[in-house]
Amino acid sequence: MGRICDRAATALLWLAGAFIVALLVYFLGYIFIRGLPVLDLGFIFGLPRELGTGGGVGPQLFNSFYILALSLLFSLPVGVGAGIYLAEYARPSRLTRAIRLSTECLATVPSIVLGLFGMIVFVNLFGWGLCILAGAATLALLNLPVLVRVTEEALRAVPRSYREGSLALGATRWQTVRRVVIPAAAVGIVTGVTLVAGRALGEAAVLIFTAGMSVSRFFPDPNPFAAGETLAVHLWYVNAEALVPDAARIAAGSAALLVLVVLCFNLLVGLPGRLVQRRLTGK
Amino acid sequence: MSTRLAFDRELHILQQDILRMGSLVEQAVYKAVESLLKRDPVLAKEVMTGDDAIDALRWEIENRCVRLIATQQPIARDLRTIVTGLKIILNLERMGDHAVDIARAAMCVCRHLPPEPMETIPRMARLAQQMLKDGLDAYVYDDVNKARAMCLTDDEVDELFNKTFSALIEYMEKHPDTIGCVVYLVLIARYLERIADRATNVGEDIIYLVTGEWQELN
Amino acid sequence: MEGKILVEGLNLHYRDFHALKDVNIVVPPQKITALIGPSGCGKTTFLRVLNRLNDLIEGVRIEGKVLLDGQDIYSQDCDVVTLRKRVGMVFQRPNPFPMSVYDNVAYGPRIHGVRSKRKLDEIVEASLRGAALWEEVRDRLFRSALGLSGGQQQRLCIARLLAVEPEVVLMDEPTSALDPISTLKIEELLRDLKQKYTIIIVTHNMQQAARVSDVTAFFLNGELVEYGATDAIFTKPRDKRTEDYITGRFG
Repeated sequence: MGRICDRAATALLWLAGAFIVALLVYFLGYIFIRGLPVLDLGFIFGLPRELGTGGGVGPQLFNSFYILALSLLFSLPVGVGAGIYLAEYARPSRLTRAIRLSTECLATVPSIVLGLFGMIVFVNLFGWGLCILAGAATLALLNLPVLVRVTEEALRAVPRSYREGSLALGATRWQTVRRVVIPAAAVGIVTGVTLVAGRALGEAAVLIFTAGMSVSRFFPDPNPFAAGETLAVHLWYVNAEALVPDAARIAAGSAALLVLVVLCFNLLVGLPGRLVQRRLTGK
Repeated sequence: MSTRLAFDRELHILQQDILRMGSLVEQAVYKAVESLLKRDPVLAKEVMTGDDAIDALRWEIENRCVRLIATQQPIARDLRTIVTGLKIILNLERMGDHAVDIARAAMCVCRHLPPEPMETIPRMARLAQQMLKDGLDAYVYDDVNKARAMCLTDDEVDELFNKTFSALIEYMEKHPDTIGCVVYLVLIARYLERIADRATNVGEDIIYLVTGEWQELN
Repeated sequence: MEGKILVEGLNLHYRDFHALKDVNIVVPPQKITALIGPSGCGKTTFLRVLNRLNDLIEGVRIEGKVLLDGQDIYSQDCDVVTLRKRVGMVFQRPNPFPMSVYDNVAYGPRIHGVRSKRKLDEIVEASLRGAALWEEVRDRLFRSALGLSGGQQQRLCIARLLAVEPEVVLMDEPTSALDPISTLKIEELLRDLKQKYTIIIVTHNMQQAARVSDVTAFFLNGELVEYGATDAIFTKPRDKRTEDYITGRFG
């Protein structure tokens, strides 16, 4: 009886795993078969066209990375800082509870709501208009809670013995955190940040109402107040509203490019972490 | 409840073996003195051959002690039990040797010697045997008072020996023809006195075993 | 007895738990004091009282006096950081930081303001020699400390401690995670170190306490049951509970 159960369970779990793999293969296959033939230098780095065929997605690709970089610039110090505070300094208090609760609430806000919030505050209230900066700021809000949690967890994973070892040598708390705990948690933090970045690359809902659905006439345009449509937004835009006759082709190409970029990003996630680890442990 | 059952069993066996050896020595001393009083060479021979058993037991106990020290890392009371055990068996073994010496000397005492010069010997023997018995009792019952009391008996034995010694000298002066015979009696008295001394050592060992303090009884 | 550390009427509560009960003890200077007792008897807690490492734990309340060279370490004007520099600690599991051997040893001097490369080099070598580790690591100073064996790691932790020149060295079962040879090396090291330092060592290993220490303290249920010269404790303990514990007849 037990053996039959065991076999049945093994088979079921195997099937579940196989199903996931099959789904992924089908999904990627579909996108790549349709999209890969579209990808060439002209498409990847070319300018888009409003009416004619043969437009590229160069500015969108550029904007994707630009907005990502800016958003990390905003969210990293605050997110990592709050994470360090929660992991190392916070004693159970009202403030700690408030921070934790806010972080969790922020993490559960649907990104479209966050997008609308960004539009109201950054685009309208601050009067920045639909631009890269507004998009980056809103995206930073989206990343913030995840960064806080990733940092806190990475720091909590550092053995208490390291902290005690350092304190027992007469180090202050800050010296301990800065010289021992953070380096030891660096692998976890870097990995976490890379994951956040990978996710942000594919984010669309937040950016539609904040960074807009058009791009600057110049390419590349580093002006943060320029319109900042990203690849993911562009994908949605060409499918939903574009007037160009080859919209389907551009959508397929954009989709393939986006998946490819995110995929590369995720595959590279482990790399910085592993490099840091090797330096620390000498293995 | 003890958490070291195997070790406790070994210690118990050790104690039993020491008591067994003690009673063998006790018998040997008794028989040796009997062989003198009754001029019984068969009994004397028995004492001499019986000493092998005592020696064998001594090595067995010593091996056990060494093994326990090596494998059980005894400390505190356990360590004292084993160290004391080693010392007690050394003393017992010597007493056994003295019993053999007495038996051997007894065979040399001529058959027709009148009992007069031997007057005090049985009392000395009784006292020495009593001390040996007291020592073993004190060992079994951790009885420090009994161990201390042994030194009083030892004083008595010493006094008796001195008396016997001068009496025998006097006797030999009066009866020079018996010198070759009576000189063995001097030796026997001396051996009995030594046995009492050894018994006193056992008493000291027991006081250390119980209190952890060394105390000179003489 | 003249004491490096003097503890008077020490009581420690952890929430509702009375972890140390009216402990009075005098720790002699330049001697090795061993703390023994069953798990949970309070000996490690007591050790951590001495460098205020319990401060980090929520819900710990301490009463009584702990004097280091006559100065109360729990008074307002005692600086914890300075205290911990004077009273160092080696932990149960070797805990070298995930950095190079050199950086591990230089960690203490650096945080205490030593900047000169030459001075650091000197301290690192002297400390590693002091911990009898120099010969084994001189060729791999700049490789990660986590690549060392357990015994080497523990000696590295000792070297790291020596580098800040403490006066008192607390050791919490420093050899419990090590093999017998590494253990004996550390014990040998302790005998050298006591020329300069006052050492307090918590150990579960009765033989170790007997081998290395000059003075032994037996804790039971948060109480200091017996305290005295090691050879006396191990040949003729005064208290029945001590006897039962050290001879392994506990229960």
